[in-house]
Amino acid sequence: MDKNIIDYCLEYAKSKKVDYAEAKAHDTNAENLVLKNGILDAYAAALDSGFYVRILADGGLGFASSNKWTKQEAQKTVDTAYKMAKSAKRKDKIKFEAEKAVKTTWEVKQKKKIENVSSEDKINKLLEIDKAIMSQKATVAARMLVLNLFSADKYFVNTEGSIISSFVPKINFQVFGITVVDQGKMEQLTFKEWGYSGGWEAFDLWKLEEAVAKEVEVLQRVLREGKPVKPGKMDLICGPEVAGIASHESCGHPMEADRILGREMSQAGRSFIYQGGPYWIGTRIGSDKVTIIDDPTIENSYGYYLYDDEGIKARPRFLYKNGKINEFLQNRETAAKLGTRSNGASRSMNYDREPIVRMANTYLQPGDMSDEEIFEDVKNGVYMHSFTEWNIDDVRFNQRYIGREAYFIENGKLKGPVARPVIETTTLNFWMAVDAVSKKIDFVSATCGKGDPSQGAPVYTGGPLCRLRRVFIK
Amino acid sequence: MSEVMTKTEAVVKKGKALGADEVLASTVFGEYRQSRFSNNQVDIGVAWDDYTTGVLLTWKKRIVATQIKNFQNVDATMERLFKLAKVSKENPMYGGIAQGKFKYAKPMGDKAIRDVEDPSGYIYEAIEAARKEVGKDIDSGGILFTKYEQTYQVSSEGPQGTDERSAIELSIRAFLQRDASGHGVECNSSLNGFKPARAGEKAGEIAKMAKNPKTGKAGKFDIIFDPLFFGSVIGTYGFMGSAFYVMAKMSVFADKLGKKVGPEIVTMRDNPGKQSVNNRIFDDEGVPVKETVFIDKGVLKTYFHNTTTAKLFKTQTTGHAGIVTPMPWSLELDPGDVTKDELFKDLKRGLYLTNTWYTRFQNFATGDFSTIPRDGIFLIENGEVKESWKEIRLSDNVLNLLANFAGISKERQQVHWWLEAEPPSLSPYVLARNVQITRPE
Repeated sequence: MDKNIIDYCLEYAKSKKVDYAEAKAHDTNAENLVLKNGILDAYAAALDSGFYVRILADGGLGFASSNKWTKQEAQKTVDTAYKMAKSAKRKDKIKFEAEKAVKTTWEVKQKKKIENVSSEDKINKLLEIDKAIMSQKATVAARMLVLNLFSADKYFVNTEGSIISSFVPKINFQVFGITVVDQGKMEQLTFKEWGYSGGWEAFDLWKLEEAVAKEVEVLQRVLREGKPVKPGKMDLICGPEVAGIASHESCGHPMEADRILGREMSQAGRSFIYQGGPYWIGTRIGSDKVTIIDDPTIENSYGYYLYDDEGIKARPRFLYKNGKINEFLQNRETAAKLGTRSNGASRSMNYDREPIVRMANTYLQPGDMSDEEIFEDVKNGVYMHSFTEWNIDDVRFNQRYIGREAYFIENGKLKGPVARPVIETTTLNFWMAVDAVSKKIDFVSATCGKGDPSQGAPVYTGGPLCRLRRVFIK
Repeated sequence: MSEVMTKTEAVVKKGKALGADEVLASTVFGEYRQSRFSNNQVDIGVAWDDYTTGVLLTWKKRIVATQIKNFQNVDATMERLFKLAKVSKENPMYGGIAQGKFKYAKPMGDKAIRDVEDPSGYIYEAIEAARKEVGKDIDSGGILFTKYEQTYQVSSEGPQGTDERSAIELSIRAFLQRDASGHGVECNSSLNGFKPARAGEKAGEIAKMAKNPKTGKAGKFDIIFDPLFFGSVIGTYGFMGSAFYVMAKMSVFADKLGKKVGPEIVTMRDNPGKQSVNNRIFDDEGVPVKETVFIDKGVLKTYFHNTTTAKLFKTQTTGHAGIVTPMPWSLELDPGDVTKDELFKDLKRGLYLTNTWYTRFQNFATGDFSTIPRDGIFLIENGEVKESWKEIRLSDNVLNLLANFAGISKERQQVHWWLEAEPPSLSPYVLARNVQITRPE
């Protein structure tokens, strides 16, 4: 990147009649390796570098980007963003909530620097994980492993006087379509991923060889021993992966203020929460055991950041608190509209993507019970450790999760595997049914989809064990 | 030869000079513009200009790739790439890239799209058309998107060509009430014939019909899919038609070549021709694209191939590279022999679903999935809308669904929308029998 070009963009933007302007450089150093059925299909490595300018002028918003680092291009980019802003012709003018200037530099340290890991070692890591899959006593008909390494080097300036530099390396590992065949039947892990902000030490923490081997074992066990559940109302204990996806889908998304205000209405949709509707801040949406937090500041988390892409300091956001709707995810625009302050939820995934309201690491807050206490008084129920198919409607109310690894519970004890148990419920029914959460939390990585064009955002989801009473499982 | 083509060729020559077996470089100068709107007003205008050369290099069946921005640091980047190839692993399945010289059709890009100065006029035209249907209380949102790409592609194996690709797309969702909405799209490769009001009118019509929806019911239903909904369905069949996903067991079409997968009325093809918003004249290896029938009268005829997957399946490339993953460009379901009105008239009791989102699979190989209908959901009795519904889920299997296609309309529409109706398609209204609907319990 050329910081002089970014500074020039800002100065040139200031020469126009703007209410607010920001310029940002975003360099990405990325490597992607694809191992399909044990064979390295391709190894891609690329440096990407570009910048954007976002301008608020006359109540309209314009965004322009380029990856041509010349002063002439910078001028053209500012002119385009300004023209875009002026052409909005809005009746009610967009305003941005003002903040004090921030001048800082932050970065994520790597215990084992990715740049010091050879390409051969990266390939070998994938081959080792693949070997762990194939060393199981199971017939694995297909598997695909993907390793994504990407570091983001950013330089941000705005008309408030903020100057923020940051560097965040990330590691992402994905498995697709691990397919186990047994006695003429087939089960599949469609997708699972692991993510980390930091260096190669991620692999020491993940213990992927054990994790993928266990997935194969689970698929085979479901094929051999899995029984369907007799549909009806019973207790459900969700593992961290299921508690996490529910937190993300039915709390994090509906609490995005841009969605609440309608800005995503034609793509990702709206929210069951809206002004004048049955749900707003203070409304009960779950039992008092339910507190869901979105916190970008969890060190080394996949969704980690200290300042968002509007230069706002990150902090934990208590979205649902003791079962009540508490605080939305805000950026400068939504905060101004709702008469509050941004809580640093604005993220842009590359130099050619507009910053929008996003989650970071969304999780159900742990309680004070042990795992044993959670299970011990469940007479008849299901433990859903992980999920496969899932989805939710576009106001984030009607949702469904299907168990990938799940077990019957009888008199407080785990029994044999359940084949694909389904919970199809609503946000209110799900969270109101929670009567206990355990004290041990675990996180799962995900790539959250939003924006047009899509901006896949690295996030954590997670939680402790949570117990739901008398929910319908089929 | 243009300066850009010369520079692209220089990338290939550099790779060859380093000792690469094959080098393929594709430079895309893309100009993309988007206006997003909600609450009947423009929220933001977005412009992104892209100057990128994608490079593939192979050496002793090691496949590596990179990107070069605006022809910066070509020599250093290519040297790094070749070094990466030397330490990479052999892919014994790799079958090379296309060889020889090809004759290409004339590029189909419409420069007029690049020159659209102020797109807000199109947006307000669509909103006004929706307002005529919905009335003054309309709330609407959506996007207007334009694309103009110039592509310069050079392969060390012979293919060399230039292409111009263009598209203009408008997507509008209109609300009469919070739970009564309709969605319309207007997609065109050329400004000529682009009618944004058509999308607004359709969104408004559906929103109006969707007023005061009742909670839907679970059960098996005959269903008519709107072209927008069907765009999502055909996209699933398209991605599962890729030989890559067949090999990865992420397709229901594995081991089904030459077999019946649907009724005789079903003929699906890929056609990235002039009408498509994903128009092109060659694929990523430089092979000329063409119409490819992949399901012919219900029988699976081929997968989508690049040169490598074609060799593995002992056939010819179908012009669908993706170097690693062959994919369809622009799908079509051939029209049926009944009109849309006749399709509805013959529906004694069933549902009309206008749009969907969030399609997810339990198992790609078996095809068990669910998807969530959104916007207008209608109970149809004796061809007439009886009730507007909400809060249902389609939970079935993609092979069952295909086997149960029972009617296809003559009318078709070019649809493409966000992550859902992807890739673009020319989709009709489709009737499917006995489709499973579930809802929260």
